[in-house]
Amino acid sequence: MKSFFDAIGNLFKKPVTTQFPVQPTYLPDDYRGLIVFEESLCIWCRKCEMACPPGAIVFSQDIETGKQEYHYSPYVCIYCKECVRACPAPGALLQSAEPGHPGLKEQNVNNGWNQLFDESLESRAAYTAEKKRKQAEEKVAADKAKAEAVAKAAETAKQNPGPSDE
Amino acid sequence: MATQYDIPVGAQHISLLEPLHFKFTTENEKIIKTEANVGYVHRGIEQACCSKFKFRQVSFVVGRVCGLCSISHTTCYSQVAEKLMQLDISKKAKYLRMLVIELDRIHSHLLCLSHVAENSGFEALFMKTMAYREFSMEMLEAVCGNRIQYDFSIVGGVTRDLRTDVAKMVLEKLKIFKPQLDELVDIYSNNYTLGLKNKGVGVINKDDVYTLSAVGPFARAAGIPIDVRNETEDILPWKEVGFEVVTETTGDVYARNLVRLKELYVSMRIIENVINGLPEGELAVDFKGFPTGEAINRLEAPRGELFYYAKGNKTQILERLKIKAPTFSNVAAMVHGFSGNEYASAPAIIGSYDPCLSCTSR
Repeated sequence: MKSFFDAIGNLFKKPVTTQFPVQPTYLPDDYRGLIVFEESLCIWCRKCEMACPPGAIVFSQDIETGKQEYHYSPYVCIYCKECVRACPAPGALLQSAEPGHPGLKEQNVNNGWNQLFDESLESRAAYTAEKKRKQAEEKVAADKAKAEAVAKAAETAKQNPGPSDE
Repeated sequence: MATQYDIPVGAQHISLLEPLHFKFTTENEKIIKTEANVGYVHRGIEQACCSKFKFRQVSFVVGRVCGLCSISHTTCYSQVAEKLMQLDISKKAKYLRMLVIELDRIHSHLLCLSHVAENSGFEALFMKTMAYREFSMEMLEAVCGNRIQYDFSIVGGVTRDLRTDVAKMVLEKLKIFKPQLDELVDIYSNNYTLGLKNKGVGVINKDDVYTLSAVGPFARAAGIPIDVRNETEDILPWKEVGFEVVTETTGDVYARNLVRLKELYVSMRIIENVINGLPEGELAVDFKGFPTGEAINRLEAPRGELFYYAKGNKTQILERLKIKAPTFSNVAAMVHGFSGNEYASAPAIIGSYDPCLSCTSR
């Protein structure tokens, strides 16, 4: 019976629900949102990439210059802040309070990111291979130069025998 | 002998929150036999934790096992990994973990209660309970930075500090919530129509609970004071913050409702004590090295005892991780509890079990 009178009384009360698009809902100011990257402070140690649980951060590398580039997928990110905790350079990575946006089909968020991830890893492997090849080439060249220098020195010694020989 | 009918419920059904299949054999509307299938949401999370993810990342993966008891899984894994690493975490981190676990318990219990009301045919109470539940979600958002996936515990501590203004807000909101909870207790225990659907329905007595090894509010409603918070004092100091076991005796849907409602009072007291007595200390411990050996850990999730086993092999990736969720322990008693009831009360009984199938089949 009490419930019945409560129900009648509720007819004259204000609604409990909020008018969402007109009235904004509660959002804390330190909400876990998108990750912001500051390139000038980064020391390119790739610790954030190793710490990231879903693999939302990846670094690609230019094969010629060796310059690294930061890639971040806001659609794969789970906003856990592990990258920020792993980062040794203060200020290079920060977590903003901006919520992530929904990914659209046209943006190709899943396959596009997977492709970019694989390509980035490949670019780094290619840079390492290229570096090794260059180092090996330089070493061969250096060895050759050294051998040539030794041979030349021996030749010059032969052509101009020292005064002690006489 | 009367004609017997087999009635399937699920895996997709209007009264079920999660994919769960029951096959009821009924005779004159009385359920005489039940079969259950709980394996519809197997996702291979244990295998992923042992092959793809490093042990520090696993605490974020296991948080995705279940949306409702996310913090229980994360904390339980963090504790088992700390046992493997032989870490000693600060008291502040322990207190903050207890705070979020209890906030999570409030929202999980209110969700279950609202669904019992809905499945018993009392939609207005469902809406009322859900409206009152909203404060706990906002508080979790303020404390952890997200409504559902808290990602609060990591191996070695917790990720965020409790700000003073947030702590003040939580205490204020608890003061508003207390009369609302009194109102809910009054409706759930005294409403006549709800009593018709809940009292004496889905009874599981003390002996059955004991032999079928049920856990959580399910067992406590039948009068068995089984609670991990009462047993383990070394991992999280529950008794220090005013924990006590809540039990009922009848073991029906009504008793389960009352156990959950009374546990909310305990949770509120724990939250108040944690915030008022929050010690100083560091949030997370820095450590190096890889896990070795074996360890187990137990934690009281909203639905009962959660169990984790982990084995390390001196590498970044664990060799084995085993999760045993509370609903898995309860399945046998769940199936038993239907016998002798009307088919029409089956949805309310399912609701009162509070099954979490995502946890069960991982």
